[in-house]
Amino acid sequence: MTSAHLSDSEFVDLAEATLDARRAAHVDQCDACRAQGAMLRAALHDAAATDVPEPPPLFWNHMTARVREAIALESPPAASPRHWRGTRGLLPLAAAAALVVAVGAGALLLRDGRHEEKSRAPQTSAAAMADAVSGEVTAASDPDAAAAWEVLTTAVSDVEIEDAHAAGMAVHAAALDHAVLSLSAAELSELARLLQTEMKRASN
Amino acid sequence: MLSTRTWSWIAEPGCKVTVTNPTDAELVSACLAGQRDAFDLLVERHQRHVYQLCYRFVGNHEDASDLAQDVFIRAYRALATFKGDASLGTWLYRIAVNTSLNKVGSKTPRPIALDPLIAASDQRLTSAGENASEAILRAERSGQVRAAIARLPRKQRTTLILRVFHELPHEEIAGILGSSVGAVKANFFHALNNLKKIMSEAGFDR
Repeated sequence: MTSAHLSDSEFVDLAEATLDARRAAHVDQCDACRAQGAMLRAALHDAAATDVPEPPPLFWNHMTARVREAIALESPPAASPRHWRGTRGLLPLAAAAALVVAVGAGALLLRDGRHEEKSRAPQTSAAAMADAVSGEVTAASDPDAAAAWEVLTTAVSDVEIEDAHAAGMAVHAAALDHAVLSLSAAELSELARLLQTEMKRASN
Repeated sequence: MLSTRTWSWIAEPGCKVTVTNPTDAELVSACLAGQRDAFDLLVERHQRHVYQLCYRFVGNHEDASDLAQDVFIRAYRALATFKGDASLGTWLYRIAVNTSLNKVGSKTPRPIALDPLIAASDQRLTSAGENASEAILRAERSGQVRAAIARLPRKQRTTLILRVFHELPHEEIAGILGSSVGAVKANFFHALNNLKKIMSEAGFDR
């Protein structure tokens, strides 16, 4: 035996049966390398024999549905509002922005009082959203929530609903319902804080 | 099922394009053009691999399911950054690895032990021609190896998972982990070495 022992990388090739013939000849003559190679092959065999238990049959459909529902609350991946376009700093706030858009769109619809003819969302959905908003926010006695709502409505006061649609801010009806129905006063306050931060940054 | 599905979307104003069994790249373009439902097909195509990768890290269905969902949401948010240099599958693997490693952190995951009796009675776990006692032994052995893999250092574990269970080439793993092929092979070597050592110390060795 004249050649050097196998390197780590060559042992991997040996275990995967891709070692070149010249180095394989060394293994034939070297007990140490042969033993090490056999040990690696055994470990590889053990590892490969483990399997992932198959999830319940309906799981895959369920997974697709869960993802669909979750991304319904997200902004479209490449359709940001015009004046935000190219502002990379906004990317980490995508999730929050989706909720802000949902609430903002709700505020737009309520402000104009014309959601039935303007909104692309089904009538039942818009009506449910309006009920939810008035129940959740205007009836709230929490001053923080009221202040937060004030910030949101102010923020969208200059935005036309047509512009919002044109800018890709229209959200799925179910997303709107989900966002508004699930917002607590604390979440509303947090959204307001995020929005204020962004407005401040945008104006700088 | 996928091959029979027809997808339509507007590529340009006034130009309707119908694509049967579109490629991942076409679906990504459709998503970026505002067709959210194109993402459904991407999820359908890749969810099994993503779920299984996550499962390899966390060792239980519930966490793997949550992680896989998280992976797809992150992918959706970052879709505009997908350049197509690598395949979408590789890109998803990268997100899944990062998400899974963040989840497990530096802690050793604790796989839920598979009840051998349940395993034996579960036909999904019983291979063809295998009787119940063989299924019990195989499930037990599988759990032991999974537990040993879970104790490997992060990079070794990741390399082993991607190489052995997802059969990715070393070059692709290097791309996912941001390292060289040599480093990947060295990690793989140490992973296998340590796996044998851990199993031996735990009395799992034959």
